Amino acid sequence: MTLWFVFALMTAAAVFAVLLPLGRGPRPQSDGSEAAVYKDQLAEIDRDVAASLIGPSEAEAARVEIGRRLLAAADHQRDPPMASNIFLRRSVAIVALVGLPIAAIALYLPLGSPRLGDFPLAERTRVPDATQPLDNLVAQVEAHLEKNPTDGRGWNVLAPVLARLGRYDDAVRAYHNSITYNGDSAARRADLGEALTGAAGGVVTAEAKAEFERAVALNADEVKARYFLGLAAEQDGDTTQAASMWRAMLATAPPDAPWRPLVQAALARIEGPGAPALPDATVAAAKDMNETDRNAMIHGMVDRLASRLKQNGDDVEGWLRLVRAYMVMGDRDKAKSALTDARQAVANDAERLRQLNEGLKNLGLDG
Amino acid sequence: MIAEAGHYALVLALGLALIQSTVPMLGARWHDAALMNVARSTALAQLLFALASFAALVTLHVTSDFSVVNVFENSHSLKPLIYKITGVWGNHEGSMLLWVSILALFGGLVAAFGNNLPLSLRAHVLAVQAWIASAFYLFILITSNPFLRIANPPIEGRDLNPVLQDIGLAVHPPMLYLGYVGFSISFSFAVAALIEGRIDAAWARWVRPWTLVAWIFLTLGIAMGSYWAYYELGWGGWWFWDPVENASLMPWLAGTALLHSAVVMEKRNALKVWTILLAILTFSLSLLGTFLVRSGVLTSVHAFATDPTRGVFILLILCTFIGGSLTLYAWRASALKQGGLFAPISREGALVLNNLFLTTACATVFIGTLYPLALEVLTGDKISVGAPFFNLTFAPLFVPLMIAVPFGPLLAWKRGDLLGAAQRLMAAGIAALIAFAVLWAWTRGGSALAPLAIGLAVFVIAGALCDLAERTGLFRAPVATAVRRARGLPRSTWGTAFAHAGVGVALIGIVCETTWNSEYIGSMKAGDVAKIAGYEVELDSLAQRQGPNFREMVAQFTVSLDGRRLSEMTPSKRNYPARGSSTTEAALLTRGVSQLYISLGDTADGTIAVRIYHKPLVLLIWFGPVLMAFGGMLSLSDRRLRVGAPKPARAPRGLQPAE
Amino acid sequence: MTRKQRRLTMIGGSLTVLALAVALVLNAMRDSIVFFSTPGMVAEKHILPGKRFRLGGLVENGSLVRGDNLAVSFKVSDGNATLPVAYKGILPDLFREGQGVVAEGALDPSGVFRADTVLAKHDENYMPRDLADALKKQGHWKDDYGAKTDDNAKQAKQGVSQ
Repeated sequence: MTLWFVFALMTAAAVFAVLLPLGRGPRPQSDGSEAAVYKDQLAEIDRDVAASLIGPSEAEAARVEIGRRLLAAADHQRDPPMASNIFLRRSVAIVALVGLPIAAIALYLPLGSPRLGDFPLAERTRVPDATQPLDNLVAQVEAHLEKNPTDGRGWNVLAPVLARLGRYDDAVRAYHNSITYNGDSAARRADLGEALTGAAGGVVTAEAKAEFERAVALNADEVKARYFLGLAAEQDGDTTQAASMWRAMLATAPPDAPWRPLVQAALARIEGPGAPALPDATVAAAKDMNETDRNAMIHGMVDRLASRLKQNGDDVEGWLRLVRAYMVMGDRDKAKSALTDARQAVANDAERLRQLNEGLKNLGLDG
Repeated sequence: MIAEAGHYALVLALGLALIQSTVPMLGARWHDAALMNVARSTALAQLLFALASFAALVTLHVTSDFSVVNVFENSHSLKPLIYKITGVWGNHEGSMLLWVSILALFGGLVAAFGNNLPLSLRAHVLAVQAWIASAFYLFILITSNPFLRIANPPIEGRDLNPVLQDIGLAVHPPMLYLGYVGFSISFSFAVAALIEGRIDAAWARWVRPWTLVAWIFLTLGIAMGSYWAYYELGWGGWWFWDPVENASLMPWLAGTALLHSAVVMEKRNALKVWTILLAILTFSLSLLGTFLVRSGVLTSVHAFATDPTRGVFILLILCTFIGGSLTLYAWRASALKQGGLFAPISREGALVLNNLFLTTACATVFIGTLYPLALEVLTGDKISVGAPFFNLTFAPLFVPLMIAVPFGPLLAWKRGDLLGAAQRLMAAGIAALIAFAVLWAWTRGGSALAPLAIGLAVFVIAGALCDLAERTGLFRAPVATAVRRARGLPRSTWGTAFAHAGVGVALIGIVCETTWNSEYIGSMKAGDVAKIAGYEVELDSLAQRQGPNFREMVAQFTVSLDGRRLSEMTPSKRNYPARGSSTTEAALLTRGVSQLYISLGDTADGTIAVRIYHKPLVLLIWFGPVLMAFGGMLSLSDRRLRVGAPKPARAPRGLQPAE
Repeated sequence: MTRKQRRLTMIGGSLTVLALAVALVLNAMRDSIVFFSTPGMVAEKHILPGKRFRLGGLVENGSLVRGDNLAVSFKVSDGNATLPVAYKGILPDLFREGQGVVAEGALDPSGVFRADTVLAKHDENYMPRDLADALKKQGHWKDDYGAKTDDNAKQAKQGVSQ
């Protein structure tokens, strides 16, 4: 409420600034008289002559020139009689009284967020926000490390949390620092590789692969690294290599290893005959369908995606896909509402919010 | 609430600017004093709201309110307070807000101290000023709004870039902006004169001080930016002919020309049409600079293409104002009456010559900066126009200008005596010849170019002194008389002398630095000695050190001259692990106006790559512009500048930069 | 002098200065303009040894070799072709394997690019414009290079590893 009161005061001040001169009657003008300027120029010529900055005959010519202008100026000053145009003044007053507040509010409302209060940091740290305990903690650890960057233990704690939050770039940096200050280990190398993969959106880049290879070199049984090396092979198109790597893992694995199902699933994906259709395959299948079926299929997929995202809103790519899908389907309203949901879902996470906004820019549905 | 109030203040400022841009024009059309006076009160109110908006953004940055996108993206709670504040204009949105705030400030100053201007002229000037302001308020609100919010604010901001935390970088943009935007006043005056179809005598009296203010800030801003690049980048270079630098140099050259032609106009009512054109061009170049820097078209055409809204918007503003004003010029300029007569050889003639060379030099910079862009758009060929191009075009154009500089102040108005002036400059010529001969002998017949250039610089400095000696009658009259006359000299005369001498001083620095700069690059380990320009620089030790938020490799050097220990220098290389970035902190040792400069490269098993420069007289490069700016300030304080416009009512003296 | 004569003098003077400027600009354009190439373009165009140009591309991972007394060599690649570069001096702070680089110099007869300058800017967002465009054309480009600091390293790396 205070805010609107302040707005009202400010508007009143602005309107007042326009009305003030309108209300005043004509005042005797202290108009800058040109004559004064010319008189000064004449005086200056005398000074210049004294300083021999102008020859005597030229000075005479200059005096004549200025004198002529002086006369002309005297003529000029008489000519514009001041009028007062009551109609115009009233219109301006009305524009200021009505137009200015309306225009200001009309421009402000779509841009501003009048319902949001201030969030200065000092207040927020005093009353820890219950909704973001993890973020708070991370920020504290980051602040600590900013000051004591050689605290290896700190990097060790922070890195996996960052990776889980999806801040892969920061996680990569944190793992690098962790390796620098805690020493090399297979597990850390593998984690670093995983973060790099995450940063590349799930693609095992050459750099990530190098980290996994280093991890395996340090410890041949490093499970995570071996799994990802298999994944790298798969992404390079070498499925047989991938399959043999994963099979080797399963062969030597203890029967109760928690990661068994994951590797088995991966294996099934690349060689099982009933492998779940890849997105490409789905699209290919859709080509053969008739219009209604295809629409039904697409709608089904989109709905599935939407409900998945309702449960877990962290998947920025998913949100973008959803929004894009709605737009392709011509359903702009739904796209907009999906967008709002997406913003809410990732609002706590700066990095994702940024990714989301970046993605949206490309979709042309900004704002 | 602060954020929203700031946002609303910006909207209100736009509303007021729109009223200010129309109502006074109507008032002038119908000769209604009250309507014309609206310009004044709205300009002041607009200033109030723009400042409130800017203050709100500063407060948000200071209190680290990360619910504001701008703060979140460009600040961090761990930044030192001073960098939280300077971070406000370290980013696009904030810098644009600073830009319009300065624009509003200049408009407010005209409104506050323009009592002595003819009413209709003031109304027109403020209306034109409001057109520019409206365009930029709209630009900010629509494409670069610094007050956008995040509903669930993150707990920490994103930017803690160590490279940007530097005081030089923090101060020079506002300086440059004061310069750029200051030229908007001369632009508004020019357009107002074209609209009115006549030029008041008060016109030049007003335009010159405003141009002078803008010019002083721009000079200082450019010098400061150059010094920042010199000590911070670790390369020892101080001018790169980079498009961003050129963008600030072009308005400076045009502004310098404007300053000189405004003198002719003020004193002799001549060169009116030309002065108006220059005023328009100068501000157009400022706008162009804003466009080049802000649209991202320079760093990457790609950045411009992915987010074209901003670039296209500024381009539209640019085209509207430049195109509009030039059209108006073409249409109305012929209506302006011709001014006083003068012979080609006269003070006026000398100033015309100055204008000719300055604008031509400006044009070559313009071509060198924009040609690659144009070529790429037209043919797809990519070229880079670097220092060699500018050295081959800009430098030769400056030589005749420099030769002419000392003659100007010695020539009489209307019809001058070149021979007489030359006779009076005899002493300066002799000094220049001696300087040349001594240097040439000293460098044992090396290239004559550098000694010649220094001789030229000495000629300019000695010429400025000759002018003063001539006016005070030094050496001809008793000392007491000379001192009395010196006191009686108008300050603008002193200003001219200082500014001209500043050009010479800067030239000496530039020539010395580029010609006799010596450089040592090599890898050193503890105990190694590098010899450079007579100095012995020994690497004592290399040590790792822990800073507040960085680790640094500090190299300690002992500098000695002829076996005598002078000082220690400790350059370092900082690594910010939390950011994964590193910076090089160069060490500078100032000896007189020369400097030793050490910066570090990579380390490899106990050795470190080291770059040592000896830069003779390098500081003169920046003393020159400071001297020029000082000359400008002296000239600004000249009481005679205030005479033309009669006593302002009530306004306190000290607050009248304009008069 | 009459008004007309004076005007002619002025116009004559202006034209002289303008002609001088045009001559200077044309002369400088002929001698001092440096073209920009990527390794792929170098291979296509058969640039002669000794002709100065600017080479832009990404520093290939693992190609940086430091020799004695600050001599360094590395390879610059644009995805299609690579070109060995030799340089003597201190590399800028932001020089890294996998990052973009612009070097100025000329080819020697053996086909090695002898650089005398390796460019880096103070701004870590900065990507030389020529390089950004060239990389984009060849598809080694992810969208917001230059827009956001943190992503640069990542994206340049991706460019190489693809």
